[in-house]
Amino acid sequence: MAKKRERLEVIKDILYSIRSTRKIKPTRLLYASNLSPQMFKEYVNELIKKGFIKLDIDEKEKKTFSITSKGNEFLQEYKIIENFVENFGL
Amino acid sequence: MYDWIIQNKGLLKIIYALAITLICAIIVMKTHRLFRLSFHQGIRYFRNAFLFFGLGFFIRYFLDPFFPQYHLVAKILFEFFLVMAGFFLLYSLLWKKLESSKKNYSSSLWNKNIFIFYLMAFIIVVLDLIWNKYIFMFLSQFIIFSIASLVSYNNYIQKGRQRKFLKFYFLAMVLSLITWLLNFVLVMWMNWNQSILMNIYGLNIIVFLLFLFGVIKITNSK
Repeated sequence: MAKKRERLEVIKDILYSIRSTRKIKPTRLLYASNLSPQMFKEYVNELIKKGFIKLDIDEKEKKTFSITSKGNEFLQEYKIIENFVENFGL
Repeated sequence: MYDWIIQNKGLLKIIYALAITLICAIIVMKTHRLFRLSFHQGIRYFRNAFLFFGLGFFIRYFLDPFFPQYHLVAKILFEFFLVMAGFFLLYSLLWKKLESSKKNYSSSLWNKNIFIFYLMAFIIVVLDLIWNKYIFMFLSQFIIFSIASLVSYNNYIQKGRQRKFLKFYFLAMVLSLITWLLNFVLVMWMNWNQSILMNIYGLNIIVFLLFLFGVIKITNSK
């Protein structure tokens, strides 16, 4: 059985998916994140609230997600954060 | 050498306070940055532990000698901050078992779980004030660091091969436990023997340097 992903790992996966496409539609991001719709909604809302991603709506009412500078900074520092948590047993 | 140390203990205590406060300040700044990025509760509680350690040592050994009229206040705050720091350090290891990962408290200094720690710290401080000794603080810290040593040993056994610092973290916890045990022996049976006390200060600095070593090594790695 596959190991359950930690919260930090899920956030990293979502941010990587957005960064790799620059802009991504909600449905595509849901598939890429490999989460249930309920969990996906919770994570996305949290990431928007914390300023890691933003939701853009164009004139045709199409929704896309894009990564912010804070989200990019998280990805750059992800290895350090993961190392810190694991090495201190937090 | 010991005579010189005893003669200059006032100055050495100030240097000791500054060294530990500086170490704690660096740890708080480094971990606060990681928390602002990750919103990881474990990092948050770890940061709080060193914030309280730093405040406690700064007040007791740095401010207290310059404001002797507030000695009692400094003593109370020192004990309160140190007990809270111990609770936060232990909680940073156990929070995953006690909090839902979905629960994200807006404040890590004031929520219902932490309120229990404040209450216990307050009771410990009051009991020590009544007895006029630090017995309850030493006992509480002995219990806290015994549990923390067991948890960090368990972490080391489980992931020690992949995560090298777990071994040093376990060592830091055991050394902290020994420090508190020596403090307890000193206050109970040795009437604050100054030369042993200076050795405890030295051991304490080693413990804080060990924590700092881990934080700097990991946060500066790329």
